[in-house]
Amino acid sequence: MAAERGCTVFMVEIKNLTKFYGAHPAVQDISFTVGDHEVLGFLGPNGAGKSTTMNMITGCLPSTAGTVLVDGYDIAKDPIEVKRRIGYLPELPPVYGDMRVRSYLEFVAGLKGIPRKQRKSEVDNALERLHLVDVQKRLVGNLSKGYRQRVGFAQALLGSPKFLILDEPTVGLDPTQVMEVRNLIKDLAKEHTIIFSTHILAEVSAVCERVVIINKGQIRAVDTIENLAAAAEGDPTLHMKVEGDVEKVSAIIKGVEGVRALREVEYISAGVNSYEVVVADETVRKTLMATLIEADCMVLEISAEKASLEQVFVKLTTPDRKKTRAEEFEELAQKLEADRLAEEAENPYNDEEGDA
Amino acid sequence: MFALYKKEVQSYFYSPFAYVICALFMLVFSLSFINGIGNMNSNVFKFSFSNVFYNNFFYFIFMIPMLTMRTFAEERKNSTETLLLSAPISIVKIVLAKFSAVSTVFLCMMLCSLFFPLVAALNGTVIVSSLICGYIGFFLWGLFCIAVGVMISATTDNPILAAVLGEAAMLLIIFLDNFTDSALVQSIPAVAKVFQWFSTEARFVNFSQGLFGVGDLVFFLSLTLVVLAWTVIIIEKRRWSRG
Repeated sequence: MAAERGCTVFMVEIKNLTKFYGAHPAVQDISFTVGDHEVLGFLGPNGAGKSTTMNMITGCLPSTAGTVLVDGYDIAKDPIEVKRRIGYLPELPPVYGDMRVRSYLEFVAGLKGIPRKQRKSEVDNALERLHLVDVQKRLVGNLSKGYRQRVGFAQALLGSPKFLILDEPTVGLDPTQVMEVRNLIKDLAKEHTIIFSTHILAEVSAVCERVVIINKGQIRAVDTIENLAAAAEGDPTLHMKVEGDVEKVSAIIKGVEGVRALREVEYISAGVNSYEVVVADETVRKTLMATLIEADCMVLEISAEKASLEQVFVKLTTPDRKKTRAEEFEELAQKLEADRLAEEAENPYNDEEGDA
Repeated sequence: MFALYKKEVQSYFYSPFAYVICALFMLVFSLSFINGIGNMNSNVFKFSFSNVFYNNFFYFIFMIPMLTMRTFAEERKNSTETLLLSAPISIVKIVLAKFSAVSTVFLCMMLCSLFFPLVAALNGTVIVSSLICGYIGFFLWGLFCIAVGVMISATTDNPILAAVLGEAAMLLIIFLDNFTDSALVQSIPAVAKVFQWFSTEARFVNFSQGLFGVGDLVFFLSLTLVVLAWTVIIIEKRRWSRG
């Protein structure tokens, strides 16, 4: 549709978007694009700058720097044109408790400048779509959180905007309602372009085609779910339960070729510990088993786990990658203190190397 | 813009709010009315509505912050401000819609007060021209005070705070004239002159005496517009620093 008008193919184009609250950067240099009829997941932990970005796209919040183009219109230059194309469901549904559902929706329809004749059908349509017909005469203030959320959702749909921005649409809903909302989003994707933010991973993989992962106001990744998952699969992890001395087993595991890292050691019961081992590929599993058995360590359990999207998320959203490694290292150092001491005892020249 | 105006007016009239405040206004008006009649003695032969208006304003002005306190503060408190800001409507229109909604309630209050001239007309003669002039002056002064109230409401997200600050502003508006007359201010003519420019009371006196001056009309309207413009600026400013 955009192509017909000779505009860019992108529905929404965000370039170098930045927002400072005083000296504190809330969002820094964010750029991404959303294509026509795409569902984009905006993923990040709490306080990552998701809502700030969404507020900037909808024009509620002016940006410190950068541009937002919606359908070829710049939010800074033609805010009205942009806002006409956007339906926005903020984090807290913007509903008035002292209004009835129907009159509230009629008010929003008027506010959005929908011609008088179409208002009734638009409101009816939205009520039906969100299953609100039964409560249309009730006061919004008396509705439960889930219903209020739906009223907010219905409000965003009015005027059938091309572009929907949903800020955490499933927060505070019960599991059935969450499923309903997800199905609704999928359904809406046929007619609208959707950006929706969430901090729940399952939601993204259930609904979106593409994900923007954001943390501390910076983009960590923009990719399709498949690609992200594929990238994560590179490092399989083995979970093992091994009977035997911790120091000994740790040393053996580390000694095996192809083991990238020994991530976590946890005490399970006397003489038995669980180990999380990152390996280069699955074949290492065999060698690892063989080496351990050879050394008289009983392997009680072993399971391979491909890195999930969740791990990618955690990896991408932990404060700083370098810092993470440092932290990881620190943890490891602590947990394997005994191990290290044993090694030092075996190789006394380690100390000399340190001095030099 | 009309939708917002309609919603605002409805929020006043679909709740007891507008009726209670109209009733309160009637009560206050009747007090000044009775006061006016009671003060008639050998020195004052005539009872005039101009006087009633004049006295009434001192009571009435403190009702205005109650009317205006919710306009923007409540929107922010209930996080419905995002709805207005993300709607395809400019902030100027939002401010105008809200301002005219409050003005409508104010107009209804004034319509209620027509009861008193009617009672007076049944038992005597009412000088219509003077009455109309008084009403115009009262309305204009009210508009300015409403604009100030709306502006104060836009500065905070707490309606109660908006009301308290509003009352303080109303006090300032009403006593600016007395302040100007004080010896301290009078001793510095330049300052006194500046205060006089902004003294709304002096302008209202003209109206209450039955004198309709274009200058006074322009004064009230322009002052109202300036305050409304400030309201727009304040909202824009808050939009920038919103979290």
